[in-house]
Formats: sequence, structure tokens, C-alpha cells
Amino acid sequence: MTTTLHRKDQSLALPIEPDPGKRKLSTAKAMQEAISQRMARDESVFVMGEDVGPYGGIFSSTTGLIDRFGPERVLDTPISETAFIGLGIGAAVEGMRPIVELMFADFFGVCMDQIYNHMAKIHYESGGNVRVPMVLMMAAGGGYSDGAQHSQCLWGTFAHLPGMKVVVPSNPYDAKGLMTAAIDSDDPVVFVFHKGVMGLGWMSKNDRSIGAVPEAEYIVPIGKARVAREGTDVTIVTLSLSVHHSLDVAEKLASEGISVEVIDLRSLVPLDREAIVRSVSKTGRLVVVDEDYQSFGLSGEVIAVVAEHDPSLLKRVSRVCVPDVPIPYAHALEYAVLPTAARIEAAVRNVVAT
Amino acid sequence: MTDVLFPLMSGKADATGVIVTWFVESGDQVTPSTLIAEVAVDKVDAEVYPEISGVITLLVEESKEVPQGAVIAQVT
Repeated sequence: MTTTLHRKDQSLALPIEPDPGKRKLSTAKAMQEAISQRMARDESVFVMGEDVGPYGGIFSSTTGLIDRFGPERVLDTPISETAFIGLGIGAAVEGMRPIVELMFADFFGVCMDQIYNHMAKIHYESGGNVRVPMVLMMAAGGGYSDGAQHSQCLWGTFAHLPGMKVVVPSNPYDAKGLMTAAIDSDDPVVFVFHKGVMGLGWMSKNDRSIGAVPEAEYIVPIGKARVAREGTDVTIVTLSLSVHHSLDVAEKLASEGISVEVIDLRSLVPLDREAIVRSVSKTGRLVVVDEDYQSFGLSGEVIAVVAEHDPSLLKRVSRVCVPDVPIPYAHALEYAVLPTAARIEAAVRNVVAT
Repeated sequence: MTDVLFPLMSGKADATGVIVTWFVESGDQVTPSTLIAEVAVDKVDAEVYPEISGVITLLVEESKEVPQGAVIAQVT
């Protein structure tokens, strides 16, 4: 076994994120384009998962790929997540660059040993000699009455376990650039896409799930947060669909003279701690918005980052997450637990009040 | 000037469709390789590209139901 088949990390300098241009895509199409462009240039890249072939992925992450690259590089698998994720890990260890789709993040329970004991640990267990250049992508999130076993985010669970990068794009531009970076990564990347940012007509569609995307290949560096909106009174640290709700709240409150800064983390691992501290140093007030469960997760971690750096920075802090209950099926109950714009707005008003 | 039609996607001629997403705005320059819209009939999606290059004018709002074959835009 050698590692010479794998690309080396090219440079410590972060790549430049190109101007988005004018052409618009949905997040789903941006992901498809990233995968397609890398497959075209690198025969070691292939796609595997349940219904990723003719169906195109149930949330359209792989639409059209089988038409272009055929069934030998776009493989529909049986319903056995342990088997096909294990197959992906083996292929990655042998020098391929698999992109494996776990249909819902919620399904990790049946295949977690492959993910966290093998995919995430082989590099460490081999003394750094064996790399696992694999992308494990999965759909996450609720809001469409799909019940407690099909609506969870769970990115905090993957981020808690060492050995995996965890990226969570909120928009088409980042989705393409982060997918390209994930494919290029010599380490395993968990790529979590919220169904509500994909721009699908049959889901409730978010305006910001359609956006400008460069046609050429480009990389959004994994581990670098984005200031989605600049502000001075309060910082919202958030990710994925909650970025859009937070921006809606920021726009609304701007008319009342409340200046809200919105930080889109874009990845949990690595976590851009500098970006969090930089923003809170300016505002002194922090609201963490996360559609994952509240306790033992991302929101507590973000607050701890600031507290460990300098607790005197924090005048007020609040978090808007899913309380520690299963996601309800009933629409009204589901929206009572999701981090809606109304809950975010209330939290922001509360922390700027004193 | 060329009409852009809602594609015929369902064997049921009276089945209506919907413009899921306009990826362009009226006044934009388009070519036959410009993805201008995603449309759907019964949750089946299709992409729409113009036949000629030119300046596009959109005639139907997003999310609105239209008959298959309807003129949804014009390119001049």
C-alpha cells in the first residue's frame, strides 16, 4: 500500500473564492456540476448510493450523472448502508475517490461503525500511512412533515467524533465549491446538505437556494466561515438553512436600527473559531442558531469558543436550536421546535435589549 | 423572435405544469446552452433551454400553473 496515488495538499494558502458571475443555479444543480466536473477530469471519482442512478438522488444531488458517466461510475446500491459505505471506504483506501450518498443523515444508525470506526480512524490507526479520500454526503433537516426519523440534522454528532471533516453549505455557490474541495480532500468529508437549501420545487423553496455560480471549477476552502451579512450590534452564528432565516431577521431588524451580523460557518470541522471570536469581539452579543438538537452540540461549542478566548467579551448570549425532543410529524408541532425566523427574531431582540 | 414552450412531459395532454424556477430574468442575454428554467409536471422535473440566442422576456410567473405547450417566454 502506498499513498502515491493520492494528491498531496497543494498549499497552505487558502484558495481565492472567485466572483460568482451572473449564471444562476439551484444548490442541487451546483452540487451536480461540481461532481460532474471532477468526474470528467478524474476517473477515480465515482458515485454510489441508494437511488443515485436513474432517479438522480431523492433530493436531486446526482441528477443526470448516470446519463453522462454510465452505470459503472454511478452505482445504485442495495439498501444496506453498512455494505456500501464499507465498499466506499475500501475503494478510497485503494486510491479511488468515492462519493457515497447516505440517503438521510437519520440513517447513520445502521452504518455508524463503518463511518466512525473505519472511515474516520483508518488514517490514524495506520500511523498516517493510509488515507481515505472519500465524500460521504447526506440529506438533513426538517420542515416538511417527514417525521422524527427523516428530519434530523445530526451534523453535531459527526463533528463530535474525530477524524472527519464536516461541511454544511447554505447556498449554491458554497455547495459547488465545498463539494469540489471535499472531492479533492485526502481525508474523509461528511457533506451534509439541508433539503430546504436544495432549490427543489416540491419542497418549500427558499429564494436563496437559487444563486449565482461560476461555470468553471473552483474551491471554497473547508474550514473558513463566511460573513453573510455585516453588522455591529449582535452576532448570529449559524449554518445551512438557518442562515437564510437569520438573514431574513437581519433585514427586518435593520429597519428598526438593530444591526445584525450573520456568520455562516459553512463547516463544523474544521470550525472557524477565529471568525466567531472576531465577530463577537465587535458586537459583544451572540445568538447561535442551529437546527440540530440543543444540548451537547454545536451551539454549546460555539459559546465555549468565545468563553475560553475571553469571557468578558460576552455581554449577552442566547441559542435557538431544536429542544431535546424528536422532530414532530404534525406541521404545527414541528414548526414549534424548528429554529424559525420568529424564534430567531425573539432571541435577537432579547440579547440586544439589555 | 422565437417562443419558448413549456415542454410536453406527460401523456395526459390536459395535465398542467408549473415553473419551478426561473434562472434568468427578462432582459438577460441567453444562448442555447443557458439553463433558463426548471419546470415540473406531477413532481417530474425538466430543464428548459432556448433554441436561439438573444434577449429573453419571461411571460409566466414562477410557481404558476400553465398548460403543457404554453408559451412561457420569448427570445428576440
